[in-house]
Amino acid sequence: MTIREISRRALLNRMGLASVAIGVGAWPEIFPALGQGQDHEKPIESFTGPGPNPHWNSIGPYISEPQKAPLILLTDRPVQLETPREYFQTVFTPNDAFYVRWHLSGIPNAVDLKTWRLQIEGNVNRPVALSLAELVRNFKSVSVAATNQCSGNSRSRLQPRVPGAQWGNGAMGNAMWTGVPLRELLDMAGVREGSLEVQFQGLETGPGPNGYPSNLFLKSLELSNNVIDECVVAYLMNGEPLPMLNGFPVRLVVPGYFATYWIKCLTWVRVLSAADDNFWMKTGYRIPDTPRGNTTPEEMKSGNIKTLPIGRFPVRSFIVSPGGDSKLIPGAPVSLRGIAFSGYGRIVRVEISDDDGRTWSSTALGEDYGPYSFRTWSSSWTPKSAGRYSLAVRATDSKNNGQLDQPIWNPGGYLWNRVERQEFIAGEAS
Amino acid sequence: MPASTKTRKILLVVFMATAVAMLAFADVRKGEYAPSQLGSLQQSTTPELTPDANFAASAYPVPALDLAPGDGVQEVRIYCNTCHSPRYVTMQPPLPAATWEAEVNKMNKTFGANIPVEDSRKIIAYLQEHYSTGARH
Repeated sequence: MTIREISRRALLNRMGLASVAIGVGAWPEIFPALGQGQDHEKPIESFTGPGPNPHWNSIGPYISEPQKAPLILLTDRPVQLETPREYFQTVFTPNDAFYVRWHLSGIPNAVDLKTWRLQIEGNVNRPVALSLAELVRNFKSVSVAATNQCSGNSRSRLQPRVPGAQWGNGAMGNAMWTGVPLRELLDMAGVREGSLEVQFQGLETGPGPNGYPSNLFLKSLELSNNVIDECVVAYLMNGEPLPMLNGFPVRLVVPGYFATYWIKCLTWVRVLSAADDNFWMKTGYRIPDTPRGNTTPEEMKSGNIKTLPIGRFPVRSFIVSPGGDSKLIPGAPVSLRGIAFSGYGRIVRVEISDDDGRTWSSTALGEDYGPYSFRTWSSSWTPKSAGRYSLAVRATDSKNNGQLDQPIWNPGGYLWNRVERQEFIAGEAS
Repeated sequence: MPASTKTRKILLVVFMATAVAMLAFADVRKGEYAPSQLGSLQQSTTPELTPDANFAASAYPVPALDLAPGDGVQEVRIYCNTCHSPRYVTMQPPLPAATWEAEVNKMNKTFGANIPVEDSRKIIAYLQEHYSTGARH
């Protein structure tokens, strides 16, 4: 055997392709510094459960969808895609990596702006129809940095598991949204006295019969809700037009609220004089009226649990990197980085613990882009010796909302916000 | 002249009705999906863009999907596929048998799927046999 041949085989061995064909015993003498690679590639499992999904993200394959980077596929028709963990290293999530969640299969592939109009209608004095050009030119634009998080983000953690999109942690993103304040559009149309709610409808439709939730996706907000004054009809996302899958040409931005209200391809803004009793308000997207929306299957069955439409998202924080896929070196400081956000107020503190929550140390917060934005955090941490470590992270917002270590459960799989952990392994360095 | 005024009025009404109809049904192409052989592996190309008012994205890819073979798989492929691809089934964790029954009942009653009773029964049995707790490997 020539050196060259052995070298090639050693390389193959490390790649896991030739472990059977080679006498492993021979090569450590020639390449004493090379370690053993894994002897075969392990694909990720095809499903998780009945235990919780142990991975940070969901487990689907990557898929290339129009106008998007390869993202993790949950479903293809209608489209649901999750953002891989590495995209959360920055405070703003790139448009092409931003997660996607539709309810019905009739998703726009093309919108002709010659005929498309945003319509403000219903219980108003002067119905209004505006082209995209009019929205851009006739109104002073506003920008807001806001986190968009799916109500079911992290649903795959719940025990017992609940049906629905089995998201890991990547059904969230943060963007700078630019557009027209919803209030200006409502004022232009003139909301009539006695109006109660405003309903939002996009271009999304499904093949279900008329009047069924499989035909239209409709969401409403009460006109008395202060968030109406913070809503933006956005035509730019991080300074660029929205990808079709994220709601081109305009999307409703409801800062601090779960994404179910952020209607994509928003086309009808309808003022209602009665409460919206369509499925997506009255039955879907409801949470138990309990602390943290927490309950049990037994309590739900008892029928004694009152429910409410989902609203603001609770405070959350994540360790983004390192991701636990590399061993650490004892004595060498590691740069820990992550994000935190809350629907109730700006993030004021992010802390980490390496002793299972007995003691917590504060981290350095990144730039403040406003109360609804992601806030990045960073910290240096050093594993003292070889061994296994578990790092926990928790955040606190300006209203003093924090995170608890206890899991929650509700039948929709909503509001998950327990303390997140990342396992690390430090290897012996000599 | 009264006749001419009347004609004008009719024309005006027709014109306005057409305008309203155009507003209500903006030109949107949607629900275009295309089978994808390589699915998660092949890169997509950028469609040709032109400076007109039509803003388009390519069809959304639907990669081939293996469902567990067995009685009822055809019914799943036909009925469930009306509203969503069967990936909605394979994405789920193993669910209790009662949950699968509740899901199919929800599709029928709440979402208006209205699948014939005998076929619904077959779909429930299939999901329970292949995708419920303890059955899935």
